[in-house]
Amino acid sequence: MAASDDDALQVLSGDDQDDGAYSSDFEEEEADSGEEEADLDEEEGDFDDEDEEDEDSDEEDGAADGNVEANDSANHEEIREALLDYIGNGNAGADGDEESDDREAADESDSSEDEAPPRNTVGEIPLEFYKDEEHIGYDRAGRKLKKQARKDQLDSFLDRSDDPKDWHKVYDEYNDEYVELTKEEMGMISRIRQGKLPHAEVDAYQPYVDWFDWDGKGHPLSNAPEPKRRFIPSKWEAKKVVKLVRALRKGWIKLDKPKEKPRFYLMWGDDLKVNEKTANGLAYIPAPKAKLPGHEESYNPPVEYIPSEEEINSYQLMYEEDRPKFIPKKFDSLRHVPAYAEFIKEIFERCLDLYLCPRTRKKRLNIDPDSLLPKLPKPKDLQPYPTTCFLEYKGHTGAVSSISADPTGEWLLSGSRDGTVRVWEVQTGRCKKVWDMGGSVFCVAWNPNPALPVVAIAVSNDVVLLDPEVGDEEVQLNIAKLLAVQPSTSEPTENTPLIGWKRHDKLRGIQLSHQQNVVRVSWHNKGDYFVSVSPDGNNRAVLVHQLSKQQSQNPFRKHHGRVADVLFHPARPFMFVATKMHVRVYNLAKQELSKKLITGLQEISSMALHSGGDNLILGSKGAKLCWFDMDLSVKPYKTIKNHKEDINAVAFHKSYPLFASCSDDLSTHVFHGMVYSDLMQNPLIVPLKILHGHQKGERSPSGSSMLQSYPATSPGVSDIKFHPTQPWLFTAGADSVIKLFCN
Amino acid sequence: MDAGERQVQVRFTTRLGSDLRVEATAFSLPVHLNRYGLSQIINTLLALDSPRPFDFLFDGELIRTTLEQLYLSKNLSAESILVLEYILAVGPPELQSSQPEKDWVSAVNGVNPSLILSGSYDSFARAWFPDGTCGSVLKGHSDAITSIAVAGSSNDTDLDVITSSKDKTLRLWKVPLKPSSSTLSSVRIFKGHAASVQCVAASPSNTQVCSGSWDSTIKLWKIDSEDEDNEDEQALKKRKLDGAKQSIAQVTAFTTHKEHTQCVAALEWPEDRYIFSASWDHSFRQWDVETSINTLTMTCSKALHCLSVGGEGSSLVATGGADPVLRIWDTRMPGTVVPVLQLTSHTSWISACKWHRQSPKHLLTSSYDGTVKMWDIRSKVPLQTVEAHKDKVLCADWWREDTVVTGGADCEFKLFKYTPIEWL
Repeated sequence: MAASDDDALQVLSGDDQDDGAYSSDFEEEEADSGEEEADLDEEEGDFDDEDEEDEDSDEEDGAADGNVEANDSANHEEIREALLDYIGNGNAGADGDEESDDREAADESDSSEDEAPPRNTVGEIPLEFYKDEEHIGYDRAGRKLKKQARKDQLDSFLDRSDDPKDWHKVYDEYNDEYVELTKEEMGMISRIRQGKLPHAEVDAYQPYVDWFDWDGKGHPLSNAPEPKRRFIPSKWEAKKVVKLVRALRKGWIKLDKPKEKPRFYLMWGDDLKVNEKTANGLAYIPAPKAKLPGHEESYNPPVEYIPSEEEINSYQLMYEEDRPKFIPKKFDSLRHVPAYAEFIKEIFERCLDLYLCPRTRKKRLNIDPDSLLPKLPKPKDLQPYPTTCFLEYKGHTGAVSSISADPTGEWLLSGSRDGTVRVWEVQTGRCKKVWDMGGSVFCVAWNPNPALPVVAIAVSNDVVLLDPEVGDEEVQLNIAKLLAVQPSTSEPTENTPLIGWKRHDKLRGIQLSHQQNVVRVSWHNKGDYFVSVSPDGNNRAVLVHQLSKQQSQNPFRKHHGRVADVLFHPARPFMFVATKMHVRVYNLAKQELSKKLITGLQEISSMALHSGGDNLILGSKGAKLCWFDMDLSVKPYKTIKNHKEDINAVAFHKSYPLFASCSDDLSTHVFHGMVYSDLMQNPLIVPLKILHGHQKGERSPSGSSMLQSYPATSPGVSDIKFHPTQPWLFTAGADSVIKLFCN
Repeated sequence: MDAGERQVQVRFTTRLGSDLRVEATAFSLPVHLNRYGLSQIINTLLALDSPRPFDFLFDGELIRTTLEQLYLSKNLSAESILVLEYILAVGPPELQSSQPEKDWVSAVNGVNPSLILSGSYDSFARAWFPDGTCGSVLKGHSDAITSIAVAGSSNDTDLDVITSSKDKTLRLWKVPLKPSSSTLSSVRIFKGHAASVQCVAASPSNTQVCSGSWDSTIKLWKIDSEDEDNEDEQALKKRKLDGAKQSIAQVTAFTTHKEHTQCVAALEWPEDRYIFSASWDHSFRQWDVETSINTLTMTCSKALHCLSVGGEGSSLVATGGADPVLRIWDTRMPGTVVPVLQLTSHTSWISACKWHRQSPKHLLTSSYDGTVKMWDIRSKVPLQTVEAHKDKVLCADWWREDTVVTGGADCEFKLFKYTPIEWL
């Protein structure tokens, strides 16, 4: 039906629109060749005849149709429709051909109208509307088109007989004029009358141009014309249909067996199935089922279901929501079971639940919780780090409060609450030296300068500088010179020195007497300056001392809170002062506050600086550990709550990417803390190991002897320090033992 | 014997003397037998008066399992005849003597068969005679002795001994070989280290000494040429007569190796050509003495505390360090990262390891866990374990082939004798 130019085809298509599959055969054929039309008609005629003959041969033709229609079955219906199509098609095809000529004419006139634009603009209206008017319509400019004066019959006849061209003039009623047909139009009319195509230039039957190159292709395509049988309904099929119809009628073919209903079926079988879509297309969520009654709801439940008196009483203590809704009770017989008091209420609630409770389907996200964790390297790949305790340094009789390793890693210094300071040989655990300080030792610090082995010890109100006697002769001489108290060159002037540098009473060393307890001493990396912290010292809480000149100075006029710890930057002139909640970074060269770190911690207990100087960790009383990347922000880069109790000390390793924290919960946590030189990369923190081993020590009360408050000792691990060269960790506990954890 | 138990064919061979040789025929033995059972069988075959323990070697490894497990682990066919070589087993050691000292015993040396030297944290070194008497006491150091080396003797009457100490010096002593109790003072003092001297070793030709220290250097010192020595001795005698203390000749190092980055903890001078050193910087190195070049560096993952060179052709290096694993390295495979053998049995740091001076297979280790173990490298399990000390064992050495000398942090100095040992 694609070739719309073909008029015959247009005619047919108009008629056969409601026809089925069979009709298309005819159309195609007619489109192909007009010559075969006649043949086809004959054939169809033949078929009709035969069909009628066949039906005639049956006894009851009409009855057969009736029977077929009466049968409801789908198969039967299909067959019947197919039959009807056969018959109806033939007729329809014949009718279509008869009408085709009229249609052609109509189409032609339409097309001619399109060609010449009309003079009259009134449109296609019945012209009788203008019957009584003087004009026939309006032209494009809106002027009236006057009717031409009517000629009477005689005049018009005379005109026509005079005019030699009259025979090919046509009266255009619409424009009220005579139109002279051109020669071409005349020819077109004559061709139409002859039954040819109106346009002479259109050749409907052009010689077939064979586009296929047949030479040596060996292709199975056949050039044979389509056989006629392709276009005619098969007689054989018609016979077959007739046979089937007969068989159906006689009951030889049974089309549908009656469905057998299963005798038994699951009453609640489809309860669990959820029909996703209901008839109205809405999602259907079935109501939750009420629990089926169990043994406990029986009137005579087994004994184990019946709660004892105590149990019933214990229900009273429970929250109302947790109480069991039904308490099983035993009855002698079913007759004695009273009406269920809650029945109406429960049913009502159930109804409310069923009808009023909006049910939604929860969409659960199927995410593996492990995949949400950040990808951290495995501790195994981050070796070495301390794991096992191989050595213990035993000898102290009181809680060890502080430890410090010498920069070469040969010696370890420890101070204890028993009033002694000891020097240990790291490799063997031998105690090399014991100093009795005569007071509680709060902090010890070995000078980080390997060429100047001096130790600073904070004992109650004093800072004592001692010589551990580990250097060679030259060094020892140097130290002896340093530790000899210089006679104060400037005799007592108007401003008395801040701190008196005196000879120690008993030991060979220098004593710096402070006014309050000194709890921290910390050296500058170069080993000349050290700082002492006495939290109760108000504006004298932090004092900086210079060893070479034996001078002390107070760099701060005022402190914002109680100072907990002070550290020097390893390379640049910065000083970190940790008060209770903040850490202030002072630029010592410019004498100004450079930064203030906002920790968010409850109370800072300790502080450690990475060897690069840009990363700081803080331990707090609230068992939290904070990592600050000072290039990044003044807020913590990471806050880790790893311990159960207060953190007492934190430590960085000098060379390995390790840091650790120790706490009152007797554990020490070791972390991998990699600081990258690339500023774009944030530090990598991986927890590695929890070290146990220390025993619980006694918590010495923060007593107030000599009108001064002593800081309380922690009952757990009080201090940790890394070995300066090996990936080893020293831990000091309140159980008076120092342990060495090795990789 | 169970009727249902499986039997295997075993043939015994040995390299022992003819009196300990058994017939070279194959025996059918039950699979449940272990070393002890096999040893019993050999004893009955030999019909020895007093039973002797034997050890059995298969494919160069000591049998420490039952025959069945051996078959399974080696994937042997049950039909094949198992050829076992038997050797005399090392019996458990006997404590020969235990000498209390004043302080921790930090160094022992048993190179000389006629006396044993021990160094202690009380800064004295002592010479002990085989009968357990303390001979000379070497007084002069001001801090703990860390190591003792014997540099032979220039004559028959006394022995050159070098001690290193935490007081940053080394001292040379002439220890008389004859049993006599006396207090000696040092002949020569080696100064130059900036920190505690941790170890000392003398060259096999007894002309040079090397020392390793906490200042992470190795220094080489000349003991002395013969004439100088004589002169010195004369001078020394003079000075002794004068009673002047400062008169001790001072020696300075002629070479210093600085490649180590941390404390040099152990040194060994197996041949005149080269020195081995072990350090806390996790590496042990070989040094060429003539050219002072570091010829070999091998890196371990732990700090090293002790080192011993031995084995076949002195090519195996045993190292112990800050962990309980004894590692044995093959120097013939330079560039290897992994030791040839890793022997784990100790529970704490290994403080000393020593190859047997004659046997290439036997090795002695002492550890901070208080035990001394003897190893045969053909077995992954130690041959013998002795609970030698109540505290850390700080040092151990062989003495006279079959005796082990140990010193510990319980201030004891002990001798253990292994009986009978026929080292291969």
